[in-house]
Amino acid sequence: MDLQRKLEILADSAKYDASCASSGSDRGGRGAGAAHISGVCHSWTADGRCVSLLKVLMTNECVYDCAYCVNRRSNDVPRASLTPDEIASLAFEFYKRNYIEGLFLSSGIAGSPDRTMELLLEAVRKLRREFRFNGYVHLKVIPGADRTLIDQAGLWADRVSVNIELPTDKSLRLLAPGKTKETVLGPMDRLAGRIAAYRDERRSIKSAPAYAPAGQSTQLIIGATPETDLEIMKLSEALYGKMRLKRVYYSAFVPVSRDSRLPALAEPPLLREHRLYQADWLLRFYGFTADELLDEKHPELDLAFDPKTVWALNNLERFPLEVNTADYEALLRVPGIGVTSARRILRARRAGTLKLDDLKKLGVVMKRAVYFVTAAGKYAGIKKESGEAIKVKLLEHKNPNGQLDLFGRLELAKEGLAATVTGQL
Amino acid sequence: MRRYLHDGSFTGFLTALALALERGGADCAIAPQRAAGGASEPELFAEYISAGSDPGRAAAMRELFERRGSAGSWRHARYAFLSENPGSGTALLAYARLLLEKGPAADDMLADGRVRRVHALSAAVGGEAHMFKGFVRFTELADGALYSRIEPEHNILPLITGHFRARLGGFNWVIHDARRTSAALYFKGRLVIAPLEKARLEEDAGEALVRELWKHFFRTAAIKERENPQLQRRNVPLKYRKNLTEFG
Ligand code: SF4
Repeated sequence: MDLQRKLEILADSAKYDASCASSGSDRGGRGAGAAHISGVCHSWTADGRCVSLLKVLMTNECVYDCAYCVNRRSNDVPRASLTPDEIASLAFEFYKRNYIEGLFLSSGIAGSPDRTMELLLEAVRKLRREFRFNGYVHLKVIPGADRTLIDQAGLWADRVSVNIELPTDKSLRLLAPGKTKETVLGPMDRLAGRIAAYRDERRSIKSAPAYAPAGQSTQLIIGATPETDLEIMKLSEALYGKMRLKRVYYSAFVPVSRDSRLPALAEPPLLREHRLYQADWLLRFYGFTADELLDEKHPELDLAFDPKTVWALNNLERFPLEVNTADYEALLRVPGIGVTSARRILRARRAGTLKLDDLKKLGVVMKRAVYFVTAAGKYAGIKKESGEAIKVKLLEHKNPNGQLDLFGRLELAKEGLAATVTGQL
Repeated sequence: MRRYLHDGSFTGFLTALALALERGGADCAIAPQRAAGGASEPELFAEYISAGSDPGRAAAMRELFERRGSAGSWRHARYAFLSENPGSGTALLAYARLLLEKGPAADDMLADGRVRRVHALSAAVGGEAHMFKGFVRFTELADGALYSRIEPEHNILPLITGHFRARLGGFNWVIHDARRTSAALYFKGRLVIAPLEKARLEEDAGEALVRELWKHFFRTAAIKERENPQLQRRNVPLKYRKNLTEFG
């Protein structure tokens, strides 16, 4: 088989989100995590996704049979493998021409986890040592591989990841025979420990080697199993806290194979995935906790409204907020104000009192914010401050008929997507 | 009405700016020479003044932006100039006057038209420079050097050379702005920006194969069911595709 055909097969099986291969790119292509760490995209594919890395599997052969994965053993697809040499030189030739920012390398599990991990490490080691490659490397860690092998991953890669895939042990056992919470969380915990230890060392000795300087990430598949958004957000909160992960990615389940254990979905739950990204964003940059957004009585994110708007509507007693005096943390909680516009407000109000008209120029999305702010005492929202009335108004902007059909939902999702990009939630 | 004309260089521009600040009235403007001497009719009642190029005056202007402005003012001035937008000279004049009047606080006046205009030009240039860190495509030549042709909207070449120097320090390379017929030449660790009309190129023998592999990878990476040409066009505007290997 020639190199071209192999690359085709292995790039093809690396592009689906639900497999060992996924890097967890935000859908829509422009999400903050779509580009690798430097934020440089080199191109965008026909489906509008950012290309910054050579994303490829070493092999798409696999001894496992995870129900949601294209590369599962029982699936009848063409198989191919690249050698460590081929991977290293391909990545280097692409990098040199500025096609890419670096390499994203993963693999199906061929033979044993140890053997697979060894070959992955060899490829990256060659790239670094023989080609003196200084670009970015994201390396997947194979669950079940020996500790000493796992430990090496962070010495060669900028970012390491183990995918959790399914939010609970029960779901894992059902859909991913051979994987358990322990086989996934074990290596993750191990890597978190290494990262922290090396970081401490570098604090005292500047020349100490770096270990996965871009940290660790993981991914969850959404909608293949019955977990609630509350369970998912709680898990993410713990991963950011205890495991110190840099990113958790959410991937709407796309049925790539028929299996009686999988739900029959008419379409992938993209809107839900999108809301989870927004909620995740609120955890990481806006100072929210999972408990503020969801509770046992309301365990699912509202599909019609973004999570910040929902929170604001449930906490109307805190609004409207005077933009000339409110502190940064409070501004961030206003729908329509994001990190950038909150900072601009702080800056601009030093130069003079802000009026409502000024806010739009500062990047505030007034369609949403108008119900929640005053400027120099002026309020332009609706007089009767009721959550329901505001809801109706917010929906009117999107849909003059006042009813939220599927199209309306998609529009909302799109708008929210643009918001995620600019950080204006 | 006075028009201060500059020779297109940054020093020339800053000289014109200095003269306009010293002597110009409220309605004076700054424009590049070639625009005034080109096909368009000179305005009837305008007085044209060639500013020349005075390094001393230029240095004084830099000081004005650095001393009177905030931490970002000098960068905004440089970037807005590189935008090559026809109105950028006059916009910078208004901005400089505001800095003289208000000091560093001027950059906080984000709702003020004079500040927004310069910030917007600066952001457009910064944005395009960032994009081109990704959009530059090199071809390997027979002698091992790397060659890239670009045609950016703004004059971003001076803003991206540092990035490629850090990244490809071990190679000899050329980034050729074909629109402005100028090129960044990096040879044996030294970097110069010089005029370059046309380049004679002899590709390396292995180049075609790597290019094919890349095109293949690029096509394969898209998921058919989710094709979205609109989104793709927003991210990679058509005007940039001519020089992108994967769209060729
Ligand atoms: S281990 Fe499971 S998810 Fe990973 S490649 Fe094999 S079948 Fe796919």
